[in-house]
Amino acid sequence: MEIVRFDHVGLVIKETRILEDISFSTEQGDIVGIAGPSGSGKTSLLRMMNLLRSPTAGTIFYKQRDLREYFPPQLRREVGYVLQKPYLFDGTVRDNLEYPYFVWMQKPDAQEILLYLERVNLPSSILRKSKNELSGGEQQRIALVRSLLAKPKVLLLDEVTASLDEENALILEQLILGEGITRSLTIFLISHSPEQLRRMSKTILLLEHGQIRFQGPLTQFSQLRGGLNNE
Amino acid sequence: MNNMALALTFSLVVIALLISYRQKLGMEKDMIIGSVRAVVQLTVVGFVLKFVFNIDNTLLTSIILILMVYNAAVVAAKRGAGIRSAKRISFGAILIGLVITLGCLLTFQAISFNPSEVIPISGMVVGNSMVALGLLYRNLISLFKDRREEVEVKLCLGAKPRESARTLIRESIRTAMIPTIDSMKTLGIVQLPGMMTGLILAGTPPEMAIKYQIMVMFMLTGAVTISGFIASFWAYRSFFNDREQLTVE
Repeated sequence: MEIVRFDHVGLVIKETRILEDISFSTEQGDIVGIAGPSGSGKTSLLRMMNLLRSPTAGTIFYKQRDLREYFPPQLRREVGYVLQKPYLFDGTVRDNLEYPYFVWMQKPDAQEILLYLERVNLPSSILRKSKNELSGGEQQRIALVRSLLAKPKVLLLDEVTASLDEENALILEQLILGEGITRSLTIFLISHSPEQLRRMSKTILLLEHGQIRFQGPLTQFSQLRGGLNNE
Repeated sequence: MNNMALALTFSLVVIALLISYRQKLGMEKDMIIGSVRAVVQLTVVGFVLKFVFNIDNTLLTSIILILMVYNAAVVAAKRGAGIRSAKRISFGAILIGLVITLGCLLTFQAISFNPSEVIPISGMVVGNSMVALGLLYRNLISLFKDRREEVEVKLCLGAKPRESARTLIRESIRTAMIPTIDSMKTLGIVQLPGMMTGLILAGTPPEMAIKYQIMVMFMLTGAVTISGFIASFWAYRSFFNDREQLTVE
């Protein structure tokens, strides 16, 4: 089932062309690796997908409905977005993880929170800690768990492992892939690591100067361009 | 105090000007304009008040109060450059703060509705609310710039704009209230406030002046909080567009 579709989408910010004529569609459960040099418009692409920005041309569809028809908070909950630099709120880890419930006036599910912590190899004692007591890797794992607790259907990941060591990056990758499979989550993953894109992506979207240079299966991309290492 | 003595007190401004000039503070022009405006405005106001007090007309008094609120709103709005409809927000917030506090004082019979009581009391309420809103706007603008990431993360988790900005709004109201709360805490210890000093200089017994001052401080705390609360909840919207996107770059 088609879940996201970009139809000739463009974005101009302060007279600077960021993205131009972007068209692609993604099926539910796909993991799309977004590659391309810095400044090619990767982050802007993700920001438009969860309505942090609106395109200046074309249309974005989510579940075959124009994004403009959605109530933004509802859409953002369905299309989760995790930033490169984890941002945890003041207060404890528990406060952070209970936030998605609080926003939607639901009772926090303690069991669910503990289950996710276990999946990312974090002890329950971490719930009492504040963000200043956490390492960068722990903060990123908490930020990802917080997004997953909002039960998104699509997950946008903006270089989430960029500042992590290999061990932490692999823990996060496992969680992401596991969620992708068990919940048929559609994932868009920006990464500068060819190895990571190879390990995780089913499809590749290559951006250059705000335009799509390649879109298709990972295998086809590797054959055509001699691998991701060239990017 | 005779007029010559009053004129000589201007020498203190000259000292301030010299310091500003030597230290390259760049405040000389503002000081001169401020001093001239203070003299002209207060002289005019003195005559107007004399006239209004003598007429003692409810409608005229109300018009004066509205004008005071409008002027305060214009000044406060200047601190809120970038906030949509800052003037209208300030006017509404200050007016509501004034109506509530004045309403309470009149109901409790702390004052009666005659121009010689209502106008000076309102002047204090409006003036303090104006300063508070200026602080609030500046703080709100800088918080939205510095902590846009926090707001966006909350939006990404499905929060509505008001919820995503809640901590910023709270901090801004707190900042706006700090001068009033601090001056209340140090009342009589660090400073003898203007109103009380004025009353004592005019010959009012200190115990009576103190009563008025206590009332004024309570009234200002209420007014500043009400105005700040209302203004912040109207002003935060201008940092978002109709698609509930943050507009701060």
